[in-house]
This record gives sequence, C-alpha cells and structure tokens, in this order.
Amino acid sequence: MAIKPEAQSKVPLERHGLTNEQLVAIFRTMLMQRTLENRGFQLNRQGKIPFASASEGHEAVQAGAAMAFERGKDILVPYYRDLGLALGIGLTPYEVLLSLFARAADHSAGRQFPHHYASRRLGLHTISSIIAAQLPHAVGAAFALQYRGEAGRAVLTTFGDGATSEGEWHESVNFAAVHKLPVVFLCENNEWAISTPLSKQMGQPDVFRRAEGYGVPGAAVDGMDPIACYAAVGAAMQRARSGGGPTLVEAKCYRFLSHTTDDDDRTYRSPDEVQARRKDDPVPCFERLLVEHAVLSVEQVEALKRSVLEETNDATDRAEAMAYPDAADLYEKVYAEGWEPWTVQRAQ
Amino acid sequence: MATTDLRTGSLERHGLSDEQLRDMFRNMLLQRQLDNRGFQLNRQGKVPFALGSEGHEALQAGAAMAFNRGRDILAPYYRDLGLCLGIGLSPFEILLSIFARAEDHNGGRQFPNHYSSKAAGLMSFSSILAAHLPHAVGAAFSLAYRGETGRAVLATCGDGTTSEGEWHESMNFAAVHKLPFVMLVENNEWAISTPLEKQMAQPEIWKRAAGYGMPGRRFNGFDPIETYAAVNEAMDRARAGEGPTLVEGTCYRYLAHSTDDNDLTYRTREVVQERRKDDPVPAFETVLLERGIMSPEDVTAMRKDVLRETNEATDAAEALPYPEAADLYKHVYEGAWEPWQS
Repeated sequence: MAIKPEAQSKVPLERHGLTNEQLVAIFRTMLMQRTLENRGFQLNRQGKIPFASASEGHEAVQAGAAMAFERGKDILVPYYRDLGLALGIGLTPYEVLLSLFARAADHSAGRQFPHHYASRRLGLHTISSIIAAQLPHAVGAAFALQYRGEAGRAVLTTFGDGATSEGEWHESVNFAAVHKLPVVFLCENNEWAISTPLSKQMGQPDVFRRAEGYGVPGAAVDGMDPIACYAAVGAAMQRARSGGGPTLVEAKCYRFLSHTTDDDDRTYRSPDEVQARRKDDPVPCFERLLVEHAVLSVEQVEALKRSVLEETNDATDRAEAMAYPDAADLYEKVYAEGWEPWTVQRAQ
Repeated sequence: MATTDLRTGSLERHGLSDEQLRDMFRNMLLQRQLDNRGFQLNRQGKVPFALGSEGHEALQAGAAMAFNRGRDILAPYYRDLGLCLGIGLSPFEILLSIFARAEDHNGGRQFPNHYSSKAAGLMSFSSILAAHLPHAVGAAFSLAYRGETGRAVLATCGDGTTSEGEWHESMNFAAVHKLPFVMLVENNEWAISTPLEKQMAQPEIWKRAAGYGMPGRRFNGFDPIETYAAVNEAMDRARAGEGPTLVEGTCYRYLAHSTDDNDLTYRTREVVQERRKDDPVPAFETVLLERGIMSPEDVTAMRKDVLRETNEATDAAEALPYPEAADLYKHVYEGAWEPWQS
C-alpha cells in the first residue's frame, strides 16, 4: 500500500484483515506517540526533565508492529526508540511520563534512563541503552519459550540500523537461526545511527539481505505504512509462534528529529534533507488515508487529536506531581531481600 | 573459474608452472609430516601441545601461492601450518615454536603453533577465535589510509569463528571502507566438537557476503589449484583497491582438534575414514603423476627429503635451550622495562 497523497484516491485500502476499530487504534497510537514525543522535548527544554529520545518517523512501524503483538502471550524486547511499540502493547502515557520525570512510582523506581520502560504485566523486557545488548536477552527468552515447550508464544525484538553492525546482533541472529527459535528481529531502519548515515554503516543498504546468510527468511517493508508493517510483522510472529523459526524484518523509515534532546542533528545533516523527507511523514499520510476511505471523518480526527492531547496533559500533570525516589531506596530494585552493601560492610 | 576435477578431464593450471605445482605439493607433504611430528612429540612427552591441520593441506598450499611475499600481510588462525610454511616459515622455526625454545620468534612464550614473523609479513596469532580479525582489518585500513596500493591482507579462520561477533564487525567494517582485505574461511565442518549444522542454519558461509555488500565465492579446498585461483583473484581485487572478498574453501579436519582433544567422544572413526577418500595429499600426488609433472621416483625422493628436513629441524630445535626466566618480559615491553623495577 503506497499512501502518497497525490495518488491516494486511486489506492485501495488493503486492510490485511484489520477492522476499522483496529485501524483507528493504530492511528491513535501514532498520534499519542507524536504528542508524547513532543512533550518529552518540551519538558526537556523547560528544564523539567534531563533527557528524552525521539521516535518521530517511527510511528507507523511501531503502531503496526504493536498490532501484531499478542498481549499476555508474546514478549517484547525493544530498544530505546520504541515509544509507540510500548504504547501499542498497553503502556499508558502516565507510565511513559513517570519514566521521563524519573519519579518513584515509575516501573524502575525512577532509576532507569528516561524512555527505558519495563513492564512485567505487559511482557515488556527492560530496555538496554547499549546498542544490541538486548538481542542476546531476546534470543535467550525465545530459547526459554522453546525449551519449556511454550508453543504459541514468540519474542519480538527491535533495533535500529546501527545495531546491525554490532557483534551481538550477528551472534543473536545466528543462534536463533541454528535453534529455530520463536523470535522476530525487527529492524527500524531510519538511515541514521546518531550521526552515522547508512552509507557509512553498511556496504549495501538492505539489512534484510543479511537473512539468507543465516538461513532465515528476510523481508523489507515500507516502514511509513502501518498496515504493511502489521502484515509483515504479523506473518513473522505467526511463523515464530507455530515453531517455524525466526525471521528478519526490515522496516524502512526515517528519523525526523535529532537522536535525542542531547543531540543537534544540524551538525551532520541539513534541515533541507529532513524537510524533503517530511512528505513521507506517516502520521498525516495515514490520517489522509483513513479520511479518504471514510474510516474516520474529519471531525472524528479532530476529536481524536483533542483526546490525545488531553490525556497527555493529564498524564504530564499527574506524573510531575509525584515524588522523586528516596536516596534510601537506591538498592530497592537491584538486590533481593533488602540487601544493602553498607549493611554487609558493617557486619564485616 | 571451472572446477578442476583432480582425477579426470583437463588440468586447469590457472597459470601455475610445473615448478609451482611441485612447490605446492612439497608444502603439502611437509605440512603433513610436521603435523604428525607435533603429535608424535606430544605423545613422547617432549612438547606440551600441538594442533592438527590434516585435511587443510591443499587449501593452505594453494592460498600461500596467492600471497605476495614481501608485500602482503597474513593474519592467520592457529590451524595454518601450511600457509605459514608456504609464505616462507621454515620447519626449524615451526619446531622452535612447538618446543617453546628461546630462539623462537616469540622467545618461546607464545602458544605452540602460534608463529609470527615480521620478515614474512606474518602477524602474531591469537588463540581467541576471531580476535585476530579486527587486527587484520586494522592492518588493511592502514594500507588504505597510507595509500599503499598493491598490497593486501589475507586473513583466515575456521567455520566456528564465523559465529563470533568480531567476525561480523570485521567483515562489515571492511565492506564499508572497501578495504584491501580477503577473508578466507577454511570450512572443515568442525569447531572443536561442534558440527557445522549446530554452527549455522544454512551450511554455506560465502552466502553471508551479499549481506555485507561484498563478493563471495566457494571453492573446493581439497584442490590446491582451485584454491590458488579463488584466493589469487580475491587478493588481486583487494590489491587493486576494489575492496574485500569472502572466500570459503571446503575441507575436512581429519585429526582431533589438538593433542588435548579426543574426537572419538563426538564423532565416529567411520565418519572420518569415509572422508579420507578425499584426502588432498594422495589425490594431488595422483594428479601430478598422471600428468607426468612428477615421476614416482621424484615423489619418493621428495618424501625422503621432507622427512630428512623434518628430522634435522626436530633435532636442531630440541637441542636448543628453553628461555631464561629472566627473559620473561623480553618481548612484552619496549626496552628493558621490568615491573619489579618500578
């Protein structure tokens, strides 16, 4: 499905089995992701939070992939640019903001990096800042599913194009292939690894072409198209759940913002380049498609946007009002049974 | 490149003279003789350890013929006896390493079978799988950076090493920067006790090349001429600034991983025996005899000469002293620095 504005009316809506309700849910996740994303940057520029990372341009791939995730059964091992995936599998804006504000009520008690969520309830693995470090963990979780004979479950793990150059990426994909593990490797190829462009990352530009060398299926998908992403990730997850082994899926998208609030992308790419890619922005493109095919009216879109903004505002206020963790809680989520290093030292 | 059938059909020489073909054969004989000598000395209690490269003779003799002495750089792994002989290391130097004598290039301080020679362009070995590949790629980067055209780095590894992260990072880095680098995989189907099917989900390593954006090819590593042609083409490409190539030679490991390993705990004698029918040493001997490149008398004389050279080198190396304890830091730090002095 190409959702180019000029050709839109000629393009049929290929649903891949998705209902209107699901299409609207995908769109709402995309709107929420973008609103929360901007909120993170705003709060950082206001001096209220130390850091936020940016996933603008990844809305379609993440909302689509999240729709292929089976809540309560599958396991998600994401990377740090996966706000939309986390929202799509059930994390609330309030939980996201607790992470950004580093409040005590956060899942990691405000001790993890911002945007590094974790939720046992949702099957959301804790996030690593180290590029590709999550992949051996993901493959280990998939190995556990297979070892225990837990059929019908799969692990979805994600990473950017830069992570594919890491040794752990290679070792993880190879191990999963040898053991035919229930895991899907989803590459969100946004063409930039912080300041390193794809041309300096790989000798050829298609991550999915590596699949053959591992003996696993590989597929590329338009990462600006949420329905195509749902279909590609859904087929791969189904294959994994039914014991068919791993798949490498590459979604081609683009990173519209700087790497994080700590980065200034004007030092390595021109605003013109970014502006030229805005024509593919998945949020307005998908909005036009839904309106064109009468899945949503213009009024419904406006109402949706208002509701997303209200929810974001409400979550921001609530999270900000919460307390920081106490210094005394420093080891609370680190060791079992209230162990504190100074207690041991005293005993010695 | 047409596949050479060693026993039938026309002999595709790929430009190799009779003399070069005989040189390759002598290298193969010497490699096998020294391999056996290492195992014998170990069983006699004279050396602590030796590695067996039986089954790799053709591949290594052919690849060494594609190496440009005095210009190219070799970054081998620990099962590359024949490659090292082929680029100029002597049996005496090999035995100094196995006997761990003071006169060894590493002062008798490295692992046995881990040679190095600045004169031969032979980088010091790593026992750690794949650890030498970032070094090899670094050497290739420095050739490119300094504009030293006409030179290339030949790096080798086994099939097991291709599962290591460093292998991947090295391949990718070489591809991005189009480095003068050739990755030669000696696929002998066994990573110590791990068979290929537990190493990879598909058995052809060369297929990984496309994912890096570099050419890849596979050849019969039991055929020294085909090996020479494949590695030579890749080295020429690298020397001409056209970037790296992945070449995979298929072979087989006939012996246990090392003198410390008993392969009967993970594979049967029958499986190994079955593969002996492809043994490259008698197969290449047959080719040379059938083509009249060597007579049976020539072969016998060459075998005697190889044995004599091995015996002399063994005696000469064994007669030399071990390194002195006082030399412990000799090849480690610049000058005479010793930690207890500081």
